[in-house]
Amino acid sequence: MPQKIVKSKIIFEGEIVETIGEVSTEEYERWGANENLKVVGKPVSRIDGYDKVSGSAVYTFDKILQRMVYARTLRSPLPHAKIKRIDISKALKVNGILDVITFQNTEDIDWYWNSSKLFDPHLRYQGDEIACAAAETAELAEQALKLIEVDYDELPFAVNTKKALESDPEKLTGFKKPDLFTYDRGDFSKGISESDESVEDTFTTPVVIHNPTEVHCSTVAWDGGKLTVWDSTQAIFSVRNAVADSLKININDVRVIKKYMGGGFGSKLEAGKYTVMAALLARRLGRPVKIYLDRREMNLAVGNRPDSHQTLKVWGKRDGTITAMSYKSFGAVGAYPQGAAANWPFRTMYKCPNIKVEDQNVFINAGRARAFRAPGHVQGVFALDSIIDDFAYKIGMDPIDLRLKNYAEVDQVFNVPYTSKLLKEAYSAGAQAINWDLRNKIPGSGNGVIKRGIGMASQIWWGGGGPPAHAMLKLERGGYLTVISGTQDIGTGTYTILAQVAAEILEIPMEKIEVILGDTGVGPYAPSSGGSQTIASVAPAVRDASEKMKSKLISAAAAIMEIPEDKIKYNNGEIESIEDPAKKLSIADILKELREESLLMNGSREANPDGYTTNSFGAQFADVSVDTETGKITVNKIAAAHDIGRPMNQKTLENQFHGGILQGLSYALMEERVIDESTGQVVNLNMHDYKIPTVKDVPKIEIIIVSKSDDLVNNVGAKGIGEPAIIPTAGAIANAVYNAIGVRIKSLPITPDKVLNAIYKFN
Amino acid sequence: MQMIAIEFNLNGILVKAEVNPGVRLIDFLRDEYGLTGTKEGCGIGECGACTIILDGKAVNSCLILACQIDGKEILTIEGLANSGELHRLQENFLKKGAVQCGFCTPGMIISAYSLLLLNPNPAEQEIREAIAGNLCRCTGYKQIISAIEESIVVNIEND
Amino acid sequence: MREFNFTNPSTLDEASKILKTSDSSSALLAGGTDLLSLIKHEIIDPENLVNIKNLNGFDKIVYRKGEGLKLGALVRISDIAEHQIIKDKFTVLSDAASVIASPQLRNMGTIGGNLCQRPRCWYYREEFDCIRKGGDICYAYLGKNKYHCIVGGGPCYIVHPSDTAVALTALDAKVTIYSNGDYKSIPIQEFFILPEVNYLKENVLEPGEIVTEIFIPEPKADVKSKYIKFMERNAWDFAVVSVASVMNLSNGKISSGKLAWGGVAPVPWQEEQLNQKMSGLSIDDNSVEEFSKSLFENSEPLEHNEYKLILAKNLTKRIIKEIAAD
Repeated sequence: MPQKIVKSKIIFEGEIVETIGEVSTEEYERWGANENLKVVGKPVSRIDGYDKVSGSAVYTFDKILQRMVYARTLRSPLPHAKIKRIDISKALKVNGILDVITFQNTEDIDWYWNSSKLFDPHLRYQGDEIACAAAETAELAEQALKLIEVDYDELPFAVNTKKALESDPEKLTGFKKPDLFTYDRGDFSKGISESDESVEDTFTTPVVIHNPTEVHCSTVAWDGGKLTVWDSTQAIFSVRNAVADSLKININDVRVIKKYMGGGFGSKLEAGKYTVMAALLARRLGRPVKIYLDRREMNLAVGNRPDSHQTLKVWGKRDGTITAMSYKSFGAVGAYPQGAAANWPFRTMYKCPNIKVEDQNVFINAGRARAFRAPGHVQGVFALDSIIDDFAYKIGMDPIDLRLKNYAEVDQVFNVPYTSKLLKEAYSAGAQAINWDLRNKIPGSGNGVIKRGIGMASQIWWGGGGPPAHAMLKLERGGYLTVISGTQDIGTGTYTILAQVAAEILEIPMEKIEVILGDTGVGPYAPSSGGSQTIASVAPAVRDASEKMKSKLISAAAAIMEIPEDKIKYNNGEIESIEDPAKKLSIADILKELREESLLMNGSREANPDGYTTNSFGAQFADVSVDTETGKITVNKIAAAHDIGRPMNQKTLENQFHGGILQGLSYALMEERVIDESTGQVVNLNMHDYKIPTVKDVPKIEIIIVSKSDDLVNNVGAKGIGEPAIIPTAGAIANAVYNAIGVRIKSLPITPDKVLNAIYKFN
Repeated sequence: MQMIAIEFNLNGILVKAEVNPGVRLIDFLRDEYGLTGTKEGCGIGECGACTIILDGKAVNSCLILACQIDGKEILTIEGLANSGELHRLQENFLKKGAVQCGFCTPGMIISAYSLLLLNPNPAEQEIREAIAGNLCRCTGYKQIISAIEESIVVNIEND
Repeated sequence: MREFNFTNPSTLDEASKILKTSDSSSALLAGGTDLLSLIKHEIIDPENLVNIKNLNGFDKIVYRKGEGLKLGALVRISDIAEHQIIKDKFTVLSDAASVIASPQLRNMGTIGGNLCQRPRCWYYREEFDCIRKGGDICYAYLGKNKYHCIVGGGPCYIVHPSDTAVALTALDAKVTIYSNGDYKSIPIQEFFILPEVNYLKENVLEPGEIVTEIFIPEPKADVKSKYIKFMERNAWDFAVVSVASVMNLSNGKISSGKLAWGGVAPVPWQEEQLNQKMSGLSIDDNSVEEFSKSLFENSEPLEHNEYKLILAKNLTKRIIKEIAAD
């Protein structure tokens, strides 16, 4: 079998991970452009769509079991405190309230990479878990929480990142100050000495919350020593491992299932405390438990995109050559260890031999940061592309020409070529789509109350995926195919795209293909749905399995028809004799002849190519109108031009891009977690004080895919698209606003108050 | 505990029930009738995932008590398909790629349905207004608008 | 949700008596959109809900030419937004009704409830023991106050969230209240109260008093009116600042006019001297600019909301010019 265990390198959200895993060593002919293909790349409708539009799709939130009870969580009302005393006796006296767990009556379970416990009497932010109650109804469970008596030792806190940076971190959280991240390249002072001009500025970005429509929730049930967990998760294997480790039970005694889920955006990439609490309660009670967070808790306690305070300086020559760049930033990771760095685009996006980076993570007494759609990059690109535009305007150069002048042909961190990079093509396509020439050559030079502006920003992301990722095929009588893999579809279209790949190779109609994902008890390992890696990792495994299944069918047909294999060809889903095309068998015929009820085949992702980095690239262009009397920014249009390898499905691709761009737009203009500094409490915990866009906030969006396929990255040529979509939107909008009004708003979100303050102070 | 007797029409069927006054309509529909197509996203009328039709109008079922629906007609997403055959709005949500994670989809379709009940030939602005109370965090809305436009009967007849 | 009793009184008097005798342990339920949110967030905790939605006769829109418009308190917001006579003759009100919250909430919410809704101040809605909930301080005063009031504040700094209230103020509406077995009618300007009068409630209603009707007198012939609501988000948002105006024009001048603002004060804001100043105002850029500069001379913006003053002045200029151009 052409499979072997190899060392391979993948980059997942900025971290280079060396993996040793099983890969396929088969080399398959590349597909060429989508025009050559029958199913892949076509606007195929979602195969899971019926359930979703009919209302019959059962999400984790809808999962109901016999004898199920409900669990709700008591959270710290204070930003920093230690529990002096906790008394649950009153809660337990109420009829229908079944159990309450706290640090006092449960074993210690490590959490947040051993920095804390499942129930830690040291509460480090408003929202930290204190207790969890189970009752016959959710309302009774909530009533129980109110009857728990807690006395606190209130401790000093900081919720303002700048103030926290100046405070003693150990007094705020008990944790040491995180190490300063530094990165240097080239000869920095030489770079400065070669320059004619420089620009410097500080940009800040807010903490924003994922707010998927389906709240975080699990339903758990024990059957003897075996636990089944239905979880709204982007990573079934991570949840399985965390739950098994927490409960000290065997991995294969935990089965995690996720069929449908209502969005995650990174907030569901890790196991949640709530799942383990539910499992503990279910074990104690001998009954299934459903646990969920409400929208308030979603805004407090399931992660966020950290803030950033980025100071950038660019030195360069008058001809546009950038000679040196420096970056200094800090951002709040919240109350527990996590990363907040945003410097990756700075290190790689534009060519610069001499750079200096300092990035400081800061603990504050607020909800913990977590991966949020393109972590770091959304913040980083906003600042980077703002300062790049500033430099372009300073030396009087077209911002696109400046970017082309400093085009990075190779990955400057690893000093290796890219598997593909079509960013120039994206600049040119996007510029044309937005009418780049209509921008104000002098920012703010337009007349009238409503001022129009055009701006752009670039995008870089990984998303090439990698091993290990496996898939299984099961071909059954009648020629019905089931694709099974341990990844999950979080709404992105994985079910559909994997079916398309199998349909393309085996030429089986889509209607005869079923896909089973999101079940650790069934699927072979495949990665979590994050980092835009799912399709680039799993689709090649499905191709591998399908190609091998095809060989198996040929071999079966040879045995049945008594013709040598080399005299047989696979044609349009049928296996026929080359010499006598009248002699042929359908897949159904073969299955009928075989006494097996099913044919099985495994497939794996191949290793990533040595000596290359895989990144996706793109550029987005924004056309905005700024009402100078109200400060209101209207985005008229976003043109998004991207190199994402092969577009696998035009429909799901459009969904991903439109959705990502709209999230980028609201990051630029609306979203921000607001904390009252005197109390350390978040004030906007609902969905109108925390604003996400409505249908009336949507601009015209044009998506242009400049790539056909990245033939080096994997056997289907695909790179991920979920994250690229959101990365440059805010930067493009910020640059367009500057182009419109001639004043730079350096802090996101660019809300009307900031615009008015800027305009009226400027005038 | 006080129980209130109610009688109402649920997806075309006359139903009698006794309800506790504290029970919200959304929980009543989901827990008593298994109609889990009606989703909860926020619980305070800000996301629209729980939208149902009450006497011909779209409303948030999280802000209505079950005991308030005595004598009224309720339509949920499950009542839209006819013997397993999808309503044209549902078909077009599929066809136009208006569904991503799908959690907002039932509420979105119900809001669109209520629009078409009152206004069989809405302009794009009217479509946007009708679904302005339904938040979608995944799709960016464009395909949703296309799906609703595609469901306008006049457009179907012109095809 | 919570445990509570539900009563369906058959008459207004019965409802009023229950509300009066049980005081704060009972709450009036009409559309329920704000009430159920308040209960869910534990801002109020009634033991008894008094449902008046099924009372007859309070859900009518009646217009009598020469007299004016009567809106029963149970008229739905969506019915006001879509009513043709209101669109034609009381445009400012249909404008305001049509931009409230979302279609779903407009289909359920009533005009009476819209006037009586509680503030949207995030300190009030969140778990802060603020002065309006019986605590000691207004957290907004020194806190996150970008959405708070710039005029009329102290000791609490909310803004009144109702859009229709602003329109009705510009229209000189009257509010009819059922009180102790009788009806009384008061100008809407007297219905809302500033925190300096009472910071625990936003209007004059005493326990047992119920708003039954809104009356808007017949406008002058050829009147023009409009409502502009400035929102950060284009739908389902409360006004950052809104302005309502009703005016008559002749020969390029305003012969008489009324203005009212939302989002700037704890009540729908109106300044009588500004209304007087409007009479005779020429509709040209300079005059309108001068007029707008004289707005809110007594304003006291907080740390983060000075922009509201600029916004209110600019929106006022805009509404005058837009009405003149219509």
